[in-house]
Amino acid sequence: MVSRVLTGMPMIEIENASVAYGSPLRPVLSGMNLQIREGEFVCVLGQTGCGKSTLLRLVLGSERPLLGRVLIDGRQHCQPDRTRGYVPQKYSLFPDRTVLRNITFGGELSEFNLFGRLTPRYYRRQRQLNEEAMSYLRRIGMRESDAGKYPDQLSGGMQQRVAIAQALLTKPRILLMDEAFSALDPSTRKEMQQLIRKLWRETGTTILFVTHNTQEALSLGTRIIVLAKESPDHGSRVALDLPVPEPCHEEEIPRLVCRLESVSQINTEVDSVPGRDSVSVVLN
Amino acid sequence: MSTRFPLISAKPSRLITVALSWFLFVAGACLYLYTAAARHRENPEDRVTPTIGQMVHGMFGAALTSPDQDVDPTQPATVVQRFSRGMLWKDTLATGRRFFYSMALLLPAVVLGLHMGLFPYVGAFFLRFVLFFDKIIALSLLPILFIAFGIDELSKIMLIVVGVTPTIILDTFNLARTVPGEQVVKAFTLGAGDFDVAYRVVLKQIWPRVLNSIRLNLKAVMLFLFAGEMIASTDGLAYRIALLRRHMGMDVIIPYVLWVALLLFLVDLAMRLVNRKLHPWFRES
Repeated sequence: MVSRVLTGMPMIEIENASVAYGSPLRPVLSGMNLQIREGEFVCVLGQTGCGKSTLLRLVLGSERPLLGRVLIDGRQHCQPDRTRGYVPQKYSLFPDRTVLRNITFGGELSEFNLFGRLTPRYYRRQRQLNEEAMSYLRRIGMRESDAGKYPDQLSGGMQQRVAIAQALLTKPRILLMDEAFSALDPSTRKEMQQLIRKLWRETGTTILFVTHNTQEALSLGTRIIVLAKESPDHGSRVALDLPVPEPCHEEEIPRLVCRLESVSQINTEVDSVPGRDSVSVVLN
Repeated sequence: MSTRFPLISAKPSRLITVALSWFLFVAGACLYLYTAAARHRENPEDRVTPTIGQMVHGMFGAALTSPDQDVDPTQPATVVQRFSRGMLWKDTLATGRRFFYSMALLLPAVVLGLHMGLFPYVGAFFLRFVLFFDKIIALSLLPILFIAFGIDELSKIMLIVVGVTPTIILDTFNLARTVPGEQVVKAFTLGAGDFDVAYRVVLKQIWPRVLNSIRLNLKAVMLFLFAGEMIASTDGLAYRIALLRRHMGMDVIIPYVLWVALLLFLVDLAMRLVNRKLHPWFRES
């Protein structure tokens, strides 16, 4: 799948971005550089509190870096918008809407304003959207009888399925997933991984997937980025940038897991040279 | 100690639960009847504790006689005509009208609270002032309101505005803030604008809770309404109660108090049922 990566300008460019929270300021990311091309499936790994979600929010546009800049298609964004879909770990569905209305909400929002439902066109479009949503419902492996249920009547795995369909219906160019499968049990998780992999192949969407599970990152991504802090009072940066060979051989996995999990520890022990750029390790 | 009588983990049977829940009502009624009977044995002219018969008579009187002096009571009229001209109906209408005006005035409060919770500029502009306003004891403003707005309807409505809207604004503000940030971000990524997020995502989600908050504040609305009516009014349920106090008219005051309680209970029940019907996804937790 690496051949899928298009040549040319990267789609997401993070240039020397620094983020810090609280007072006194505690750095989370410092001087981070990252480029992501269209069609990549990038998994972001790292320990708790190393700024994985912050990185995602930077791309999402719900947060801006203190220093540096984040460019998407060469432009800076100050607010999340339709070009980037979002699937968080929880609260991803609107509790007041049925499954069907949740999935069609993207279409409703982007085509009709507050008073849009007063026009007859709304109801015609609603029917088209319903059909589209139903086809998505089947693709994510849900029954049509689930369409009328409310989110709290669904299991966690079902909710995340609907959330993915909801995000994909607006056809975003980038899909951002923040620990999207972390609250699911192992077997559901496996199914969801296969599902998102399938949808990625079909749609060609660029995906940025944040997780703390090394196995998950390896089975999903075409590229893995490990974030780690160089010392406790520095922010994180890219400690390892690893393309995943495709297909990933079974016997390779334990070695890769070992390698990925050692990175964060190495970086806390070795006092790295300040200002050093990301270590790029290319396998094969 | 396994045979000890459990308290917290007790599971009373349905019959006992029902019996216990009605016990205080029955005991209260019995105590009243006993006191009334005893006082009437001592003094048949007693006006403090009217008997059931006196209260029924008083209430029929209140329901069927007109408060206006110019209506001739000897003129023949049907029961419905007499009822619609009666004190009870006119007072209920007058109080009800004021009540619904005040409820309508709570809607802008909800909208303001929503905007304060979602839009940082609006929040910065209003929050401190509303917090201050909330601490003013509304009843202490009553003389000022009567001086400033006169003793007509406006000052009574203003009393409710001063007394209840800060609570509703702050409640809605807090509810809007409890909506998880993920929901707002998610709506933006689906193509929502700022006002779509405010009205189609956040308001829609918190609306059942806002209605519950209004339900909890119904009593405060009525409290301020009654205070206004008792002090300066020429009609209304509270005006009648205050007026009858001068004549020691306990035979009408007690039924009036129960009638007001019943009305408020019905409004509350209706709001609860409508809330449940309109928002099947909402579960009170």
